[in-house]
Formats: sequence, C-alpha cells, structure tokens
Amino acid sequence: MRSLREYIRLYFMIEAQYIKGRMQYRSDFIISSVGMFFSSLATLGIFWVIFDTVPNLAGWSLMEMVFIYAFYMIAISPMQILFDHAWQLRYHVQQGTFLKYYFRPLNMMFYYMSEIFDLKGLTQLVTGIALLIYASIQLHIDWSLWRISLLFIALFSAALVQISIIVAASCAAFWVVNSYPVLGLAWKLREFSPYPMSIFDGAFRFTFTYVIPIGFVAFYPSQLFLRPQDVSSLVYFSPMIGVGLFAITYWIWTKGVNSYTGTGS
Amino acid sequence: MRKYLAIVRGTYMIGMIYRLGFLFTIAGNVIYLGVAYYLWKSIFKNSETLRGLTFDQTFLYVGLGSAIFILLKTYTDWFMNSEIRDGSIAMYLVKPVDIGTYFLATSFGSLLMNITIVSIPTILLLLFVFKVKFIIGIGLLLFPISLLIAFFISFFLDYFVGLVCFYSESVWGLSTTKDIIVTLLSGGLIPLQFFPTALQNILHWLPFQAIYHTPLTMITQPDQSVDVFLQMIFIQLVWAVLLFMATRLFYIQAIKTVRVAGG
Amino acid sequence: MDLDDIEHSFYNRQSLLFLFYFLGKIMSLIHIENLSKHFSILNRREGLGGAFRDLFSGDYRTVKAVDGISFDIDAGEIVGYIGPNGAGKSTTIKMMTGILKPSGGTIEVNGITPYANRIRQAQIMGVVFGQRTQLWWDLPVIESFKILKEIYKVDQKTFDEHMGLFNDLVDLKKLYTQQVRTLSLGQRMLCDITASFLHNPQVVFLDEPTIGLDISVKAKMRSVIKELNQVRNTTIILTTHDLGDVEALCQRIIIIDKGSVLYDGDIKKVNSLFGAYRTLKLQIDGYNDSTLQTLQDAFTQKFGPEHGIAIAATEEFWTDVTIDQARTPLADVLNFIMTTFTVSDVRIVEISMENVVRKVYDGALK
Repeated sequence: MRSLREYIRLYFMIEAQYIKGRMQYRSDFIISSVGMFFSSLATLGIFWVIFDTVPNLAGWSLMEMVFIYAFYMIAISPMQILFDHAWQLRYHVQQGTFLKYYFRPLNMMFYYMSEIFDLKGLTQLVTGIALLIYASIQLHIDWSLWRISLLFIALFSAALVQISIIVAASCAAFWVVNSYPVLGLAWKLREFSPYPMSIFDGAFRFTFTYVIPIGFVAFYPSQLFLRPQDVSSLVYFSPMIGVGLFAITYWIWTKGVNSYTGTGS
Repeated sequence: MRKYLAIVRGTYMIGMIYRLGFLFTIAGNVIYLGVAYYLWKSIFKNSETLRGLTFDQTFLYVGLGSAIFILLKTYTDWFMNSEIRDGSIAMYLVKPVDIGTYFLATSFGSLLMNITIVSIPTILLLLFVFKVKFIIGIGLLLFPISLLIAFFISFFLDYFVGLVCFYSESVWGLSTTKDIIVTLLSGGLIPLQFFPTALQNILHWLPFQAIYHTPLTMITQPDQSVDVFLQMIFIQLVWAVLLFMATRLFYIQAIKTVRVAGG
Repeated sequence: MDLDDIEHSFYNRQSLLFLFYFLGKIMSLIHIENLSKHFSILNRREGLGGAFRDLFSGDYRTVKAVDGISFDIDAGEIVGYIGPNGAGKSTTIKMMTGILKPSGGTIEVNGITPYANRIRQAQIMGVVFGQRTQLWWDLPVIESFKILKEIYKVDQKTFDEHMGLFNDLVDLKKLYTQQVRTLSLGQRMLCDITASFLHNPQVVFLDEPTIGLDISVKAKMRSVIKELNQVRNTTIILTTHDLGDVEALCQRIIIIDKGSVLYDGDIKKVNSLFGAYRTLKLQIDGYNDSTLQTLQDAFTQKFGPEHGIAIAATEEFWTDVTIDQARTPLADVLNFIMTTFTVSDVRIVEISMENVVRKVYDGALK
C-alpha cells in the first residue's frame, strides 16, 4: 500500500503541473475569479439588504452574520478547490471515460479528484479569510492559541461535511442517467448553511441538523467563537460528524465504483 | 416558423423524459420555500409591515419568485458556450436557421416544460401547503403577459452573454457574474422595496427589475390602477425591444468576426 | 501388487497431476477457467407510473455476457481477442483488468485474482483504449510520463532506460514539450502506447489501438507494438475490429461470440479465412442476367477449372468476385477483368469481422 505521504507528494506534483498548464488561460482565471467574487458577494448583499430593514436576525447582528458567512466561505473552499471534478462525474460515467480511473495502482477517488484543481476557488478562500479577519476585529474576538487551533479543527470538520454532501450527491451518476438535479439540489442546499439555524423550527431544523447536516458547515461551528457561553454540546461532536459523513460518502463512492461497469458490453 | 415549432416541441419532449429530475427540482423548491418562509417570518418578527409590505405579501413575492425562477433562466449562454467550444455551432451557420431564433425556440420549449413540471406544482404547494392567497384582479390577468415579456428580456441578456463566447473562452466567470447581477438586482430573491432608497433609484433605470420585480408586483400588489400596470408593461416592452436590437447588432458583428477568423 | 501399492501409485499420480497443474499455472501468465459473467437487466415498464414502480421493484432478466470460457495465455504472447460487437470481449477484458467481478469460474493474472486486488493488478498491467487518452490532457507529454513514473514507482534508471527505448522507437523526444491536447491522433496513440509500457507491465491490454488512423500511421503503430513486445517480452492482449492488426501482430487468435469461445488457436488457420480471400466488387457495363455465367466461363477458360473464384450478385448493378489468393492471385484476376470487360467501378473489400465469425460457424475451421 501507498502511504499518505506518498499520496500527498504525488498530489502536489500533479497539481503543480496542472496549474502550470492552466496558466496559459490567464484571462479565464481572472474573469472566473471575478465571477467567484461576485457570487460570494450575493449572499452578503442579501444580508446587507435585510439588515438595512431590521437590526438583527433572530438575535444575530450583521457583523456576526458576516463572521458566519466568512467561516462558510472558508469551509466550502476545499470542496470547491479539491473536489470540483465531482461535477464532471456524470459526463465520465455516461460516456464511458470513467473506466480509465480503474487502471492505475492508486486510490480511485484520489486519482479522479486530483485531475482538477479549481483555481478560482482560491479567490473564494482568500475573500473568506479577509472577511473573517475583518469580522473578528469588528467583533473584538480575542484569538488565543487555543481558539486558533479550535478554528482549524472546526474548519476542517465543516469542510468535510460540505465535501461529503457534494461528493455523495455526485455519486448519483453511478445509478441514475440524469443525475444533475441531485447534485443541483445539494448545491442549492449549501447556500442555506450560513443562516442561523435558530430561525428554523420543527422538520427544517431537524433536517439541517441531523439528516443533511448543513448546519455544521457554518452556523453551529461559528458559535464556538461568537457565543462560546451558550454553545450546545452537539457542536463538540462536529469533527466526528465530519469524519463520519465522509466515511459514509466514501462507502457510497466505493459502491458506485463497483456497480459501474462502463457502457457497452 | 414551422421548423422552430418543431424545436419547441422537441425540447419539451426531452424534458418530460427525465422525470427523476422533476422530483428533485420540486424537492429543492419545497426546501427553498421552507427556508424563505422561516427567514421572512423571523425578519417580520417584531413588525406588521416593513417597507410597506406585509409578511403575506412578501412571502407571496418570494414564493412565486421561486416558482417562476426556472422559467426566467434560459441557460442560453451556457449552451452556446459548449457548442462554440466543440465546434457544433458551425452547424447553425450552414443550416437555414438563425442561431438566435433557434436558441429562443429551445428556451421556449424549456419554458413550457418547466411550467408543467415545476411552476404549476410549486404554485399548488404555495396554495395548499403554505395557504397563500392570490387576489383575483387585473394584476392576475396581466401577469402572464408580463411574465412572457420578462422571459424575452431574460433570454436576450443570456443570448448577449452567449455571443460574447465567440470572443472569450471564460464563460464561467462571465455567466456567473451575469447570473448573480440579474438575480439580485432584478428582485429575484428579495423584493426591491427592501433595497436602500438610493440603490432603488438606480435600479429603476436598469432592465433587471423588468425581469422579476414587474411580474411579481402584479400579483403581490394588485390594488393599483390599470394605468400603473399598463405603464409597467410598457416599460418592459421598451427594454425587450432595446435588448433585441442590441443582440441583433452584436450578432451581426460577431458573425463577421467568426467568418473572418474562422471561429 | 497389493492394495498399498495401488494406493501409493494413485497418490503418485495425483501429485504428478498436481505438479503439472501447478507448473501450468506458473507458466501461463493468464489463467481463465470456465469464466462467466451474468448481468441482471431491468425490463423497464412504460409510462410515468411504470417508471415510478421501477424505482422500487422491477422485473429482471439475466444476460449471459460471458458464459463459461477457458484459456491460458503465456508470457510474451500477442493474442488477438476478437469477435463482433456484443460478443463479450469487453466484459472479459474488464474481468481480466479487475474492474468486474466474475459471476463464476476462475481468473488469475500472474497468480493473483484481479478483482480481489485492483491496485496490485493495476501495477502489473498497462491499458490503452483506442480513442481515449489516459495521459493528462493539459500537460506536456513529458510531464505525463513523469507523473506515471511516480504513480508506478519506477526508479530513475529504469525510467531513463525506457524513455531512451521509446525515443528510439517513436522519436518521442520531439513531442516532449507539447501538450497532450495538441497532439494528432496518431502521435497521441503512440504516446499512450509507450506510456502503457513505462512501468514494464507483464501484460498490456490494447483496445482498438489503430482505430481512426490512416494506413501509414497504422503500420508504424503495429511495428512499435511488435518491437515493444519483443524487447520487453510483454504479453499483449489485442482487441480490434481491424483484422489487419491481427494479421500483422498475432500468432494466436481467440474468437469469441455470444459469450463463448468460438475458436482458439493458431492464426495461420484463420488466416485462410480472411488472409487469402479478397472480394472485388465490380460494376460491369451492360450488366444483364447472363453476366454471371459469362464471367464464370471466362474465368474457367483463363485460369482452369480449379480457379477458386466465387461470383455472386449481392446488390443491384454490383457483382461480387471473391478470390482465393492461394489459387489465383488477385492481381491476375483484376488484370484479366479489366482487359476483358468494361468496368465502370471497382472496389476491393476487406473481409469483415462478421464474415469471419459467420464462416467459423459454417464450419470453416473444422
């Protein structure tokens, strides 16, 4: 078996070459980054309009919402940057080009996802980091070493939740011909994760917490930094939720890969 | 004309085949409606009316907006880009069809299909699950006309960006930017009344508000005089004609470039 | 001889048999025995209601894509694995490469069961799919090779040695800096084929390696494949629709149809089916009912009664003249026809895979 270190080395080698190749399309990178930047601003725009009318949303201030949103932007970046090839899975499966991923002595998910490194996602990451710093200065959040390590753990778990939802949804391609709506729905759900879960009740809060836990992408983990005094104990389970979800997703992926036999006889 | 009708029919049929997609689109709309319901409920928590709108009016606006959202998204720019990239756009240059009319016909087929499988079910959901009330009146009567013009405006914007693909490969960035600007500034997500006044004044002079805000206002604020409604439709028509001319001019220019540069 | 002795010799024979069996397994690189793969296919119901019910339950029928095939392939062989579309070729290849799990039977490549250990199997094999590159689309050729070097853990010395060999064979160096997407189909195939040999695999699967290439590039491709096979003693399994590939490369051929092996043996025997026969399609001026007879008589007169030429009218205005080259050379026949008759159009038809299979069914190899 190949060690994790070998995989990481290989990953950097592939991506370094990939980025070099993409650099020919510099204008595409710039325009895409602008697009990414605007799409990040859209939700912020909605917040701005809402808070132009009301002073708070379920007790959360504009700046707190900006913090949650910044956390969200950083948390979804690994999915955007490293797992963007999930979007093309249905083309590869339909056209039979998915077969080639079986033929290398590598983990298939690794090999498949390593083929694309989404550069425009970096714009999102950088914007998110800048916003997070801005919001935490405005909110006077005091960053001790402990808090910073907590932030990294929280972001890592949140990123895993987001990656798991998208990759699991893309796996529908292994069983369904027109699987786009499944992925489209998962993508749409993503946009709801920066809203305070406390505005929902009943079935919705239950769904967003336990079924498709988008609450763990941004809102719940952000509470660790915004309102540490009244964090529910559930939040401390988020690393486990992230790892658990990824394990389930990986299991679905493996099932799909095993059931897929390519087109033709 | 007949050949374009065949295209409309074909697109409609293709859409109807993928029924699973329909289930997921509906599920997506149910979740969106739920989220919007709770979000606006909590915004209206302490006040009966905000910016002259009641919660019921606002939710009707947002809910109906989600029902027609898919109708006003033609994806023409995305389709054109993929056809320009793989070279199949050349097929239209040799066939006796006009590219713009061709894509308009496909979009219209999708529009009809989406009315059947997305808009009508979503409106039924609004009526029977969320207990939203529509007021019968002149606004309801003019709504379909306004929606149709809105569709044309949206199509011309998409087609315009699609034509840019003849010059640029990076359609992702362009189309995403356009989509965001259109959805946000057209009042597709939030009624324009909630925007800061200064911004509202600017938006008033842009074509975007004619896409979502105008048709939705006909339903949510039906107690206005017929003159006001007709004036709104007139403004929509002006934008539709202006954008049509703009795409026409751009098309002639783009085709010249393609024929010279060899696409 | 008492009972003990009998038992003793029995054991001896058993162990001897076992030894042979074991040796056989050691010697053959690929061992396939009674292999089968059955698929369950959902019979879809009609209409919206039907589609909905299919989501939950369905009525399945079994399709036997591969149905009890057996063969052994030795190290260093080039085997043509052919058959018409839907014969079960790809299914067998997928089982050999470890993508599909067989429904029954044994399959071993180099002593390991492919599906049970995909990664180990991938390490010892190379795969080339005709039209789909396995190189990195946006990368320069040399970078693809460097990544493959890491993926297969090829050491620097072997890498340099192999790159030297490829360079001698296909002049790879001048393609090094080009992006894969900018290569011509022929160049890309050459890169793909050499890349599949980079990690010195024991077996390489080539699926339609010459599809879409023009004649001269095809010839180049075949000579490169042959050269690599000889230098590295790599086993090659070749699936193709181009019988020219098979003729040029293989000593052995396995024909499969409807999931079963139809023929497994020396190419020479099969050669007589498609190697020696050529069909001329003619459009003869003034064609009428007696034309066939006139031709027949003319051939007998010219080449004697044992001319081995069959004449048939297959479609309107066209006459098919199938020539057994072992008896009468094609050139002579063509020459004779052109000088004796007024021919407005002539075509030479390669014998098709379907024709070969039909002939095998008709007992041509018995």
